[in-house]
This record gives sequence, structure tokens and C-alpha cells, in this order.
Amino acid sequence: LGDALVRRHLQELNTKCVVEMEKNQTILHPAGANLGKGDSRYVFAYDFCFWSMDESEKDKFAGQEVVFQCLGESLLHNAFLGYNACIFAYGQTGSGKSYTMMGSVDQPGLIPRLCSALFERTVQEQREEESFTVEVSYMEIYNEKVRDLLDPKGSRQTLRVREHKVLGPYVDGLSRLAVASYKDIESLMSEGNKSRTVAATNMNEESSRSHAVFNIILTHTLKDLQSGTSGEKVSRLSLVDLAGSERAAKTGAAGERLKEGSNINKSLTTLGLVISALAEQGTAKNKSKFVPYRDSVLTWLLKDSLGGNSRTAMVATVSPAADNYEETLSTLRYADRAKNIVNHAVVNEDPNARIIRELREEVEKLRDQLTQAESLKAPELKERLEESEKLIKEMTVSWEEKLRKTEEVAQERQRQLESLGISLQSSGIRVGDDKSFLVNLNADPALNELLVYYLKEHTKVGSADSQDIQLCGMGIQAEHCVIDITPDSAVIITPYRNSRTCVNGSPVTSTLQLHHGDRILWGNNHFFRINLPKRRTRAAEDEEGEGGVMKNSSSSEQLDADGDSASEASSEVSFSYEFAQTEVMMKALGNNDPMQAVLQSLERQHEEEKRSALERQRQMYEQELQQLRRRLNPDRQSFMGGMSHSTSAQSRLKQWSEDREAVFVRSLRRLREQVVRANLLVQEASFIAEELERHTEYRVTLQIPADNLNANRKVCLSHTHTCTYTHTHTHTHTHTHTHTHTQS
Amino acid sequence: MASLSSAEWRALCDKFTTAQNLSEVESRKDPANDPFRSKYKARELLREIYCALKSFETTEGENESGDQRPTEQPVDGEREDGFGRGFNGDSPAGLRAAKLGAVEYYLGVNHIETEELSAGQEHLMNCMKQLEKCSVSSENVSLYIHVRNQLGILWAGRDETEKAQGFLETAESIYQRYMKEVSLVLAYTHTMYYLAQVYKNLGEIERAATYCHSTLQRQLLLNQYNPLEWALNAATLSQYYITKGRYMEGRHCLSAATVIAGLAGEVPSEAAAQESETERERRDQLRQKRAEIARCWIKYCLNLLQDAEKLLQDNIGELDTERQEELKRARRGEEEAEEKDRKSALLFGSEDTFDSIASLEEKVRCLFPLDFTEARAVFLVGQTYVTQAKEYFEIDGYVTDHIEILQDHSALFKALAFFEEDLERRCKMHKRRIDMLEPICNDLNAQYYLLIRRQLMFELAETYNEMMDLKLSLANRQADTQPLDNHTIKKFNHLCSSSAKYFQMFLDSLCSPEGKFPERLEEEVLRPALVARFRVARLHSRLICSVPSAQLDNLNKSLDNYKYVVEYCEAHPEAVAAVETELELSQEMVGLLPIKINRLKARMATNN
Repeated sequence: LGDALVRRHLQELNTKCVVEMEKNQTILHPAGANLGKGDSRYVFAYDFCFWSMDESEKDKFAGQEVVFQCLGESLLHNAFLGYNACIFAYGQTGSGKSYTMMGSVDQPGLIPRLCSALFERTVQEQREEESFTVEVSYMEIYNEKVRDLLDPKGSRQTLRVREHKVLGPYVDGLSRLAVASYKDIESLMSEGNKSRTVAATNMNEESSRSHAVFNIILTHTLKDLQSGTSGEKVSRLSLVDLAGSERAAKTGAAGERLKEGSNINKSLTTLGLVISALAEQGTAKNKSKFVPYRDSVLTWLLKDSLGGNSRTAMVATVSPAADNYEETLSTLRYADRAKNIVNHAVVNEDPNARIIRELREEVEKLRDQLTQAESLKAPELKERLEESEKLIKEMTVSWEEKLRKTEEVAQERQRQLESLGISLQSSGIRVGDDKSFLVNLNADPALNELLVYYLKEHTKVGSADSQDIQLCGMGIQAEHCVIDITPDSAVIITPYRNSRTCVNGSPVTSTLQLHHGDRILWGNNHFFRINLPKRRTRAAEDEEGEGGVMKNSSSSEQLDADGDSASEASSEVSFSYEFAQTEVMMKALGNNDPMQAVLQSLERQHEEEKRSALERQRQMYEQELQQLRRRLNPDRQSFMGGMSHSTSAQSRLKQWSEDREAVFVRSLRRLREQVVRANLLVQEASFIAEELERHTEYRVTLQIPADNLNANRKVCLSHTHTCTYTHTHTHTHTHTHTHTHTQS
Repeated sequence: MASLSSAEWRALCDKFTTAQNLSEVESRKDPANDPFRSKYKARELLREIYCALKSFETTEGENESGDQRPTEQPVDGEREDGFGRGFNGDSPAGLRAAKLGAVEYYLGVNHIETEELSAGQEHLMNCMKQLEKCSVSSENVSLYIHVRNQLGILWAGRDETEKAQGFLETAESIYQRYMKEVSLVLAYTHTMYYLAQVYKNLGEIERAATYCHSTLQRQLLLNQYNPLEWALNAATLSQYYITKGRYMEGRHCLSAATVIAGLAGEVPSEAAAQESETERERRDQLRQKRAEIARCWIKYCLNLLQDAEKLLQDNIGELDTERQEELKRARRGEEEAEEKDRKSALLFGSEDTFDSIASLEEKVRCLFPLDFTEARAVFLVGQTYVTQAKEYFEIDGYVTDHIEILQDHSALFKALAFFEEDLERRCKMHKRRIDMLEPICNDLNAQYYLLIRRQLMFELAETYNEMMDLKLSLANRQADTQPLDNHTIKKFNHLCSSSAKYFQMFLDSLCSPEGKFPERLEEEVLRPALVARFRVARLHSRLICSVPSAQLDNLNKSLDNYKYVVEYCEAHPEAVAAVETELELSQEMVGLLPIKINRLKARMATNN
């Protein structure tokens, strides 16, 4: 918005030139007569400045084509997108306003170029389903009254400016004439200009005191050929010739709001303007007021051009002659202020304190849920949440302060994490193939494998500050254990006394070598998996390391087998948190759990029964064989047949016992899984109870109907009812309830 | 005086009248290429008068020259009031000096009007010198004031506001010292008005408003005003007072405006308007100005309600009953103070209008309403003016004005709803707002009314949100422990998605013609746009939904919008200050929502 254009007929130029242009700046030098005002020069910046004083100065001179390229083309483009565009021309009479807008036959101005380009484009884009129509209207605004310049009879009658909810602001009764070429437009314009002159003469007015608005209305019709429906896009191009700047103040229409700041209006008729200005100025924010100052007809008609999506350009023309210094200065100032007359409609929003509060509650709730679930598993996360909580409490602190604090907190956290031995280079475990490190395991996928602890030659683990890997939480000792990397690159874990350390589910009390993929549990809930560099994973493997501990416990075999095969396939993904946790549970079952006794007795009983059943079966087959042998000749063939019979009988026996075994093992495994799951739930319940300081103890009990404990019966185990709660004085029930139904 | 014959004097007077006529009347017809033709002619005549006067003076004034005081140059803008020295203003010598001064004055004004400022200044200063010679009298006081008014204007035009202030304040004090009881001088009204402008330009808005008030008061006293114009000015001044929280003054201006506008006569009938264009114009003017005064009244009622609301609300925008009690107790004293204030306030009106202004004032209080009954009284007055204003500003022809009135009406309902304790009724008030805004918002041409539509969309979104919250509290209040029934859930979801829909429409309106959301938000839409995103995020997570996949969808949409706020502020740190709280919470939610989403996903996975 805003251009300044220097233009002057050369022959008139007999005074000093006081205007200079440099890029987008226009500089006004003090003129002789005005030197008294101080010799400061004025510098104004606009979007474009065009110098067109002397055609021989090729590098400076901007012709009509340049002006059109800078202003016209983007406006035209916008019009074809369906948006309104507007060009205001403002300047002293004789400064080249009409030359810029209309031009001459050889040097057409903005309007002819714009119109030609418009018609060219409509022809280009014309299709069967797309058509364009162009209409024009031409009006004059004099003394706040609108006259139709295209209606031969209507120039005396004043028209009313109105607004329509779909059509926008419009002039009631203004003629709109269809045109097909720029020729049509040209002749209509010249006719309009004639009637403007006639009217001015008749009413003893001056055309330089009136504004002329020429509208080009482009209607773009899109037709859907199949359905026969059509839609329209209408855009308006307004070309406004503002009253000569020397008269603008006197006409009052354009100038009032843009008047110089410190002038005093003499006439009391302007009291309303002064009061309006006070009412507008003295406004506190969010105060709603109505200042009944009617916008001038012109600004009102073009209000959509002064805000929103419309493109608006203002062309200000100035004379470079020292004689016109005052006018030039006022025009440049006017153009400078014009940049600010864009409409701003402010969206007044309601105070949203309640919405903020509700959301805060939600944040709290989410955070609580998270804390509850994670408090035992990831103390680090808890810390992070506490920090967030602090942040939220500090809402009142100024923003700068908050930023600074946040920065501090972040740095502090970074230091903390570093001191905890957590790698900050990256999360995830794909880092450092050549390094040994621990990675955390967590039930929540979002938190799983988030922390990476690199192992040094001697890594101390525990809750004390002196430790390399600092953990805290249930069951973590101040000095919990040590992991060493030996010179031959073996990784060895040495737990301290009374500290719970499990490797692959089995408690470790003495030094043990670790292997790639081993699961480590410290305390109650710190699960990690160890990653070793490739060459260490299998090369240093020795049989007894893993097998030694596990072979004693037949119940673990299945799991270990699964684990091993998985570790061979891809150690990174398969050792999930659940796996590690179950592993620990399963192995814990092996020792002191009363449940395990039950299971073991079941197994023993099964073995017993298996043996006796097999024995009976064997005896039965033996008997059968004996009989057969006795009945048949001891002839070779029949012996052979007998042998084959006996073989088939034996294989049948084997088949039967294998099937039976498989069923049993499957059932038992399933039962065990159920027990583990129940145990987990019970453990969690106990933890929560402890957290809430409720004295509730949870225990898993296994109830097996006595008559089901007969391995010979078809139904091996059924209705394993694992249960549940004993609560003392609380009103909240934590209810762990699993229902297992195993059939074989 | 003897040497100036009465015939000569009359000739001079005629010459002066011709000069005045040339300067004031003929000059308006001057052609553009010779704009000051008549002014120059007038100047010649004034010069002739001056010479004539001067020659008489010298022949006659010889005997006086001896005791003429040595000239003491007055300094520009110096606060000297030029009385108590020189000749008595009414003495022949004093009168002569005053006459010369007057001609100098007119010459000065003439030069200023023809843009010869320095010459004009010289003449005005000569006038001051002439006036120096005599004391202020009832004959010359006008000149005393006029010359200073002119010098005030001259210096203000040169950006020397303080100098202008000096001259005008001197004029004021001269008037106040000599004219207290005597006649009413129009020049002084001008002094008031010029001072108002000087103070406005100096940024002393409150003093400027006081002088505007005085100007209006004097116009009324001198009976020199156009009723409609005066009324509109008084109504406009009320808007200044209202925004300053001075409701009593605001109400006084408005009541006076209504009464004085009534003096402009009956509105011509429609039939009469069709007969002649003058009648049509008169009818239109009367109806328009009265409708505009009605709109000023609406703002009075609205601001009074809104300010009371602000005063009474707690930190989450609900009625603070303790505060309410406290304010009610405190008010007893205030009512007596009102009477006092009243007397000290600048009152408008003559004997015949005073009573009607006072009785109009009694129709609405100027104290903050403190409970529903009081608020309702203010609301109803406001609503009456809404109806009145809408009669002229119909949707057909006055789209923008009409909608602005609707927005005020809606705001009146909203403010009243604050005082309403019954949630059901409160909800109905908000429904009324929706009913009046929604159809028009959807009817408007998006191109021409882009900005006003944005306002409407935002307000509709907020209103739906408000209703949603109310419905929920109502349901929770009725059945505290039970889960929401299907009907309520449906209703809740409808309100929730309607709110989100309008916020989204608002956001869509910011897109470029090609449908692209801007990378950088304009300053005036920055906060609204980010708040809209934030609210859309919130609304999506509030939709009640039993289908996990849809729920997941909503949570993801919610997360996306929170993320937008966070990411926008990261990319444009200057935006942070505009949405501090929203940003903090968005950051929080960006951290927490993924966990919620993961849980939901996990639950969906186990259920499958």
C-alpha cells in the first residue's frame, strides 16, 4: 500500500527539483522558501517508488509498464481468484495523477492496461464450463453524495449507499453496464467524465473536489455440465480517483481522519470529530463503545477493500518542483498514513479462566494416573512430573523468569541424569555397538528402553550419591552391586550382601559373568537388559554360565528354552519387560513360595502316577506278548510278525504316554502362568496398599478340589480359583480376582 | 473623534462589511486556479480602512502621545492578561486603539487564510500591541479573546502546542476575570473548544474531555447549536465517560442527548419522505441520529453490566457471593455520595429541558447492579434501545450496523446470564444468543464480511462451549453418582462439536485464497487463532465416545492441536507472551496425551 510517483511535464520544470528517490524511499529536500522551517529533509518509505521525471535517465526512469507490473498484475490475479481489489490515486492536481491512471494513447496508464489484461485473461480462460462477464459502474462522490455518472438522467439525483448481506456494500440504483472490451470501457469512462464535468458546471462545483470511483465487476461462472448447475464468483476492481490533495481537507471526505496531528480545527462544526477522537482514544481494553462517527461514503463503500482479503494499492503522485513543496509534503504524509487505515476488527474473546482450570484438573488427573502406574517402576519419571507440577504452580511468575528457571531446571536435570550415569547422547539402545551398556525395561512402551547406562570398567550401582548408576526405590541398597569389565572383556556382576539382584530371573549372590541380552533385576522393580559388543556376545559364552543355575529347576526349562531361542534370533526386541518380570516370578516360585510346593507335589504325584501307570501298562503289554509268544510257533517268520506286533504295541504305548505327558505339561504350564499373573496383580495391589498406607495384605491361594488330584482321571485340573483379598479397615476394595479354567 | 465624521465612519463601516462579505461568502466561489481572489480583494479593503483610521489617529492623538506608556513587548504566549494599564478600554483613546487592533486582527486572519503565516502573525501581534494600550472592557473583550484564539491556532499549526496553550489559557483567564457576570461571548466558546483540542493534542485526554463538555454546555446556554448535532456530540462524549467508568456523567450526557435530539422535531412520515427529497433526507437524518443515540445507550447498559460482572466474579468467572455481600454493604454510603457527585458534575440543560433530562436519568441507575434483579433492570433498558436501534439499522441495507447491534444484544444476554443463578435459565439465555447470531453468521458473504464473521464464529464457538459446560453441570447436579444418560451425552456431544466446528471455521477463515493456513499469524489474529487451536484441542478430548477407535481419533486430533500451539510458539517465540497459560497447558498435554493414547491403544489391542 502506498507509492509515490514523481511526474512532471518537463517544460513546466523551471524550478528546483526537491524530490529524490532511492529504491523504496522518497526524500523531500527543503525548498528555498521553506528553509526557515529548519533544513531537515523528510524521508518516506513506501512499497514502491517510481521516478518518471526524465526519460533519458534510463536507470532511474520508471515507465507505465513498470508501474503496471508492480501494481496491476497482482491485483488482477487476485480478482481472478475471486477477491476484490482497489487502487486509490491521490495527489495534487497536475502532479500526474490522470497520467498514471489513464495515460496517453502512446503511453497507456494503469486502467487501460489493467482492463486489457483482464479481457485477455477472460478470453484465455474461457471454456465450455467456465465463462466470464464484465460489468462496469462509474460514480462520483461529492459532498458525501453519490451520483451515477453512467446514467444520463441520473447525474442530478443522489443515490443511497446500502449494504447487503450477500452483495456487500452497494449503491442503490447505480447502473451496471456490461462491457466486452476495453474499447467499451473507454467510451463509457469518457462519457462518465463528460457528465461529471457537466454536473460540476451546472452546480458550480469543481471536479477536483469530488472523488470518482470506477468499478469493474468480474463474474466468473462455473458450470457443471453433467448436472447443469452453475456457481458464480464475483470480484470487484475499484479504481478511485481521490479529490485533488489540495482540496481534500476542504471536501472533508478523505482527509478528516488523516489530518495532521497538532492542527486546531477552527469551526465548531468539527466538535464531533474531536469528541469522537477522545472517545476512541480514552478507551481501556475490552471496553465496548459506539462512536457514532459516520465514515465518509467513500471509506464506507470501500471498507472491504481496507481490510480482510482484498488487495489495495494507493498511488500518490507528487511534483518534484520546489514550488509545490507544501503540497508534496502533505501528499507524502497522507500516503504514509494511508498505510495505517486498514480495518482491524478485533476478536473479543471471553475470559477462559474456567476452561484453564478444568484443563489443569485434567492434567492433574492424567498425571496422577501416570504417577500411580509408574511410581514404582520409574522414579525418574516421577521426578520429571514433580518438576512439571512445580512449573504449573509457578504460573504467577513472570515469563522471562520462567524461561530462565526452565533453563536452569533443564540443566540441573541434565547434570542429574549425567550423574546417574544415564547417557544423554540419544535414547534408545541402538547406540554404541562397541560399548557395553544397560537399558531399562518398562511395561509402558513409551518408557521402555528409554534410559541407557554405559558400563565403565568398574561400575557401581546403588542408591547412594557415590554410585555410578544411581537407582532408588524399593529394595535398592546404598551400595547394591558392582559390574566390572575384565581385561579380557568379560562382564562380571558382583552383588553386595543383602541386595536383591537377579539375572535372567535367578537370584545372584556371588560373582557371575553376564552375557549379551541378560536380564537384570535390582531391588523390586528396576529391570535392565545388558547389551554387549558383538564379539562378546557368543565368543565368551560358556556352557555352565547359564545352564548351571537352571538345570536344577525343571519347571524353568520351558521358559529358558524360549528365552534362549529368542536371544539367538534377536536379542534387542524379545526381552520385554513382561518377559523379564515373568522370568523372575517363575524362578521365585521355585524356592520359597507355598504355591510352588503345591505345584511340585502335583508334579511329583504326576511322575509317580506316570510311573505306576506306565508300569501297569507295561505289564499288560508284557502279558499280552507272553501270551502271543506262547500261542505262536517259535518260527522265525511268525516271530518276526510277533516282533512287529510287539513293536507296534510298544510304539502305541510310547505314543500314549507322550500324549499324556504333553497334556500334563501344557496344563501345568498354563496353571503356572495363571499363578504368575495372579502373583503380579497381588504384588501390585500390595504395593498400592502400602503406598496408600492401608494395611491390607493380598495373597494368592490355590484351591484344587481333592478328587481332581488324580492323574488317572481325564480331568486333570479344573476350577483353579485364585483369590483374593483380606481387608482390614479400609472402605476401598482392591480386588484381585483371576479365574482359571484348565482342562485336559 | 471629532475629525472622523459620521459619514466617513459609515463609509469605513460599509467598506468593512464588503471586506467581510468577500472574505466569508465570495471566497467560497473562487476558482481552483485562483483560490484566494476574494481574500486578496478583502485584504486591500482592510488596508484602506487601516490607513484611514491611522491618519485620523495621528491628527488627533498628538496630545495623547505624551502619556502613552513606553511599549512593553508582550512575549508570545506569556501569561499576561493586559489589564490595569494604559487607557481605560472605554475611553476614546482606548476605543481608538481597539479599532486599530481590530483591523490588525482581521488583516492577520486574512493573511493566515491565504497561507501567509508570518505576515499574519505580525498583524496579530500588532493587534496585541494595540490592545496593550487599553484595558479590557466589555467593548473589546471579544477582540482580546479572538486574537489569542487565532495565535493559538497559528502556533498549534506549527507544532508549538505549548505556545498555543499559553495564548489560549490567557484568553480563558481574561474571560474569567472580566466576564463572569456580564454577557455571554461566543468567542469564549471557541476558546473552550480550542483548549479542548490543544489538550487533546498534548495527550491530556481528561482535560480535553472537560473542555468539550464545557463547549457543549456553552452552546446550550447561548442557544447556538443544532439539536441533532449537539445531541450526537453529547452521546459521543458519553462513550468517553463510559469507558472511563464514569457512569453518572455518561448517563447525564445520554439523557441530555435524547432530550435535545427530541427538540429537532417529529420524524416526517414515510409518505412525506416519498413526496420530497428534503423530507426524505430529514426523515433519514432524524431516524439515523436517534438510532445512533440509542446505540450509545446500549453501550452504557452493556458496560455497566460488564463492569459489575468483573467486579463480582471470582477467579474462574463465577459470582463471588462474599464480594457481592461486601459490595452491597458498602453501597449504602455510596448512594448519598451520588447526590453530592451529581451537584458537582457539569450539568447540561436550560430551565425547560432540565426536568426532562433528570426524569430520563431516573429510568436507569448509574450504580453497578449487584444482583439479578438489578442486573435485569439494566438489561431491559438496554434491550429497549436494541429494539429502537434495530428499527433504523435493519439488516437490509445496514448489515454491519445491524450485526453490531445484535452482538451487543448477545453481550447483554451474556452479562445478564452471569447474574442468573438457575442453570437451566442461564442455558436458555445462551441459547438466545446462538439463535440470534448463528443464522446471520451463515448467511453473510464471507468475502465482504470476513472480519465480522470471524467475530461471530468466535462468539458462537464460545457460546456453544458455555452451554456445553452448563448442560454438564446440570446433569451432574441432577444425578451426581449415576453416569450420564444417553440423551444428555448426545446433547453434550452436539454442543461440544458445534463449539469445535465454529472454532475450526474461524481458523479456516484465516486461510489464504488457496486454502493454506498461514505460516505466520497476523498480530491481530495471533492470540485468537492460537486460543482457537487450544480450545479445539480441549473440545476434541471432551467428546464422550464409547467406540475406542473414534475415541482414539478424537485424542489424536486433540494432540495435533496442542502440538500446533507448542510448535508455533517454538517457531515464533514472539507469540509466547500472547498465550502464556495456554502454551504451558498445551506443553503439558503434549507430554501427557501420548500416554493416554498409548493406553487406549493397548486396551484396544488386548480387546481384539
